[in-house]
Amino acid sequence: MSNALHPLERRVLAALAPLGSAPFEALVAAASLNEDQVRRALQWLASKGLVSIGSSVESRLELVREPPELDLVHQVSQAPAPLTVGELRGKFDSPDEFSAAFGRARGSGWIKVDEGPAQVVRVADAAGIESLRSVVRSIAAGKAEDDMTSEEAGIVSDLLKRGLVRRVETRTTTVAVTDKGRISSSLASDAHLIDRLTPDILASGTWRGRKLRPIDVEAKAPSFFPGRRHPVRDFIREVREVYLSMGFTELQGDSVHSAFWNFDALFIPQDHPGREMQDTFYLDGLSDAALKRSGVVAKVASVHEDGWKTGSRGWGYRWRLEEARRLVLRTHNTVLSVKALSETKEREARVFAVSKVYRNENLDYKHLAEFYQMDGIMVGEGLNVRHLMGFLTEFYKKLGMAGVKLWPTYFPYTEPSLQVVGYSKAFKSWIELGGSGVFRPEVTQPLGVRVPVLAWGPGIERLMLMRFGLEDMRALYGSDLSWLRNRGELAGS
Amino acid sequence: MPVVRLELSRLAEMVGAGEERILDRLPYIGLDIESANSRSVRVEYSPNRPDLGTDYGIARALRGLLGKETGLPEFQTKPSGITVIVDRKLAKVRPYIACCVATGLDLDDEDVRQIISLQEDLHNGLGRKRKAVAVGLHDLDEISPPLSYRAVPSTFEFVPLDGEKPSSIRSILYDSYEGRTYGHVFDRSKVFPVISDSKGTVLSFPPIINGNATKVTTRTRRMFVDVTSTSQKDGDDVLAILATTLSEVGGKLGTVAISYPNKTRVTPDLAPTELPFDLDLVRSVIGLDLPRREILGCLARSRMGVRGNIALGPRYRIDLLHPVDVVEEVALGYGIDRIKPVFPPSNTPGALNEFEEFLDSVSTVMAGAGMIEMMTYELTDRKSLYDSFERPSSEKVTVQNPKSLDHSMLRDALIPCLMAALSGNVKSDYPQRVFEIGRIYTRAFDGVKEFWHLGCLVAHSQASYTEAKMYLEAVCRLLAGLEIVTKAAEHWAFSPGRCASVTAKEEGLGYIGELRPGTIDAFGVGVPASGFEIDLSKLYELLK
Repeated sequence: MSNALHPLERRVLAALAPLGSAPFEALVAAASLNEDQVRRALQWLASKGLVSIGSSVESRLELVREPPELDLVHQVSQAPAPLTVGELRGKFDSPDEFSAAFGRARGSGWIKVDEGPAQVVRVADAAGIESLRSVVRSIAAGKAEDDMTSEEAGIVSDLLKRGLVRRVETRTTTVAVTDKGRISSSLASDAHLIDRLTPDILASGTWRGRKLRPIDVEAKAPSFFPGRRHPVRDFIREVREVYLSMGFTELQGDSVHSAFWNFDALFIPQDHPGREMQDTFYLDGLSDAALKRSGVVAKVASVHEDGWKTGSRGWGYRWRLEEARRLVLRTHNTVLSVKALSETKEREARVFAVSKVYRNENLDYKHLAEFYQMDGIMVGEGLNVRHLMGFLTEFYKKLGMAGVKLWPTYFPYTEPSLQVVGYSKAFKSWIELGGSGVFRPEVTQPLGVRVPVLAWGPGIERLMLMRFGLEDMRALYGSDLSWLRNRGELAGS
Repeated sequence: MPVVRLELSRLAEMVGAGEERILDRLPYIGLDIESANSRSVRVEYSPNRPDLGTDYGIARALRGLLGKETGLPEFQTKPSGITVIVDRKLAKVRPYIACCVATGLDLDDEDVRQIISLQEDLHNGLGRKRKAVAVGLHDLDEISPPLSYRAVPSTFEFVPLDGEKPSSIRSILYDSYEGRTYGHVFDRSKVFPVISDSKGTVLSFPPIINGNATKVTTRTRRMFVDVTSTSQKDGDDVLAILATTLSEVGGKLGTVAISYPNKTRVTPDLAPTELPFDLDLVRSVIGLDLPRREILGCLARSRMGVRGNIALGPRYRIDLLHPVDVVEEVALGYGIDRIKPVFPPSNTPGALNEFEEFLDSVSTVMAGAGMIEMMTYELTDRKSLYDSFERPSSEKVTVQNPKSLDHSMLRDALIPCLMAALSGNVKSDYPQRVFEIGRIYTRAFDGVKEFWHLGCLVAHSQASYTEAKMYLEAVCRLLAGLEIVTKAAEHWAFSPGRCASVTAKEEGLGYIGELRPGTIDAFGVGVPASGFEIDLSKLYELLK
């Protein structure tokens, strides 16, 4: 702990030093501060050993209510004529209170009731009642418990039990300056030290030959939250740079597409559970009326029906334009790659997009309705499965996921199809990271593409969870300020 | 994805290999292990491979991959002598039926469980929830051929599966779980299909429910399978998968004659599927210059055969459409994990999208200004988007059948999403300063238009119009060198008198202002908030 003093500490110490020691309230008055400020300053000063704080507890007795039997005996002794029990009862407001007082006074032998039908009440032991009366008086007069005789103490303890008397405790805090405090105080009030450097002091040169008053360099500074980019944005940046380093060109495109581009062009049959399985969001009451069965659309339709001239059997059903016109929020970004393929006549190309896809899911720890995919395709003469494997292995390595494995899987639009799996230490198992494959001729040929196309469409969230040590995907998009403000910057790199 | 549960000791016996070896190879025939314990494992299989829907089918594939039993499996069939006569009145209801018989069965509980699980998967997958195809399994001993597949009225009665007394078609459709779940396939039809035998015993009311009389149990030695469908191909495919599975279980297959008014077919036809066998395609797609003999070996391990330049696939492989499908079988037979990856060097320079780069810079500038970036969902709910701002929702863009109403409409602005985010952070320290760069949607004729916006909110006891403007001016200056102009305006997000339109070079960019107290209250944010929202696509245009 530094010995430098906070302004509040200086003020309190200065007020206390001439007094030597003082009760807390007196110190508050002397320092012209509020109680909280003085309390805080004293806490700091005490922890530095500059003041000592003592406290004492005093207890005194306080009369809650006069014992009713005193009144009863008083009534009996002061009555002009002897009273009967009935008359005496009439002088009390509450019959219960009368019964209690009467029982107690008679039981203690202070009064007695004459034999006979008249039931006249008389005082029997005036001295006895007087000792109770005197205790009550001395309590009211503020007599300390310690000064009482043992007989009086007995009566007090009985009154305490009955709740007629209570003990009130008052705590007094007394503060005293220590020797160390005196020295510190004289230093603190040294007017030669500079509290705060100001432009005036600098301009006037009055700083020369003076020192800055030491401050508490160990004190906590107020909390502060710098502005930050979203961790998903940083990760996307990283993915884009990895793609760029591998010679890819970035695509950007709309989220809303016709079912034709999202599904049909990818050889996903119109009644395939895939269109449900992928839990698609279709836009209510909207469709792409401009889509006609001509050009690419006609070719794709024929591929579905009978394979067109691709050498495929096709799916063997009647393709419907209306189904293809429905508008969907893209379920994968492969739709962007396919559109790009249909537009480019390049025989060699590498393109990618990192953007959102949408699935009609109930949100849970591993499902989101909106998430990011980092799809890409590689087009070129002679490309094959080994190149796909080589690319994916290298791509994931660059993203910090070495040692991925490739397992066969199925997609309607690729053949062969491979899924990338990475080992999760958290789950102690192989986790699917993304799908990939070689586009089927049923996909490429209607677009006029005659060379192999390698394609992949992995999500980014699982990789991010592994990096951040999170187990719930919702955490990434939960808008939790506390996490966004305090997460470790390097956890994501 | 459909799931099948495998008992490991049973599978190991069927395959003739150790459990460890089997677990290691399952992923390499395309099965994803969903969960496992020491005795059993649940695997997901692709919907295009229903032949992997039982442990028998999986064992058949694994025996091939492990070299225990390779090549095209052959399936013998003999005529069963049974005929099914099809009523012409069913042509518009559920026209096709295909059947087979399996005899000599000796099923245990697990066999029955596997077959029923396959039947359910076929109903849900290829059967499109029984709409396209439905399967009935029956005890042949309870049946007196010939059978008829005929149209009956809704008053027709029979005892449905697990029922005690006869019910009418109408009551099954309206009162039973199956009827309510699948009955819509009949639309407004006045006749309904049933399969019954020569004594009038009802086998099935497809695709709703079977009759009770012909129920299959472990005591069933002879099984009759019916498959009804709306397309002949789908029905044949499903029957092929069931018949070949029953053959694996140990059944001897018998064919059934289906007598339509104008023709007679014999089902099942289990002849192999033929595809052109193109060695060059195999070599070029896989990228391995394998000799023909080795390629034939790979295909044999994938349970395929070759005759000259024709590749032969077992009839249960309904996924073979194109010669590239043969290529994948070679790759699988070779072993995906034996194929060595090659990194393809890049001949192209590559480039980042300029607008994406711009968006990334916006994020950097806003963060540098002290703002926390939020990424909220584009699909949101009516309350935060419209009601909390007391504005009409007539222009809303909604999605069909959202699973959650929290994600039922596309946002047309970012401020509502940011307010919703702040309402979830009222326990965090103030001041709170947040922004989002995101896509928004507006309705246009019969489609939607998409825009990129920047939204920004500051919330704390002193939040004001001036503070918001301070940030907005800085951002526009730093990003595009633009001086913005603010003019008094009205906007649903902001308080009248504390709201302005934002323009630069006479181009409208967006709005700025202090949030309405009613809105702040609706979101339960207890402090003043101010902010702005601008169109980044327009800002980008001005920059260029």
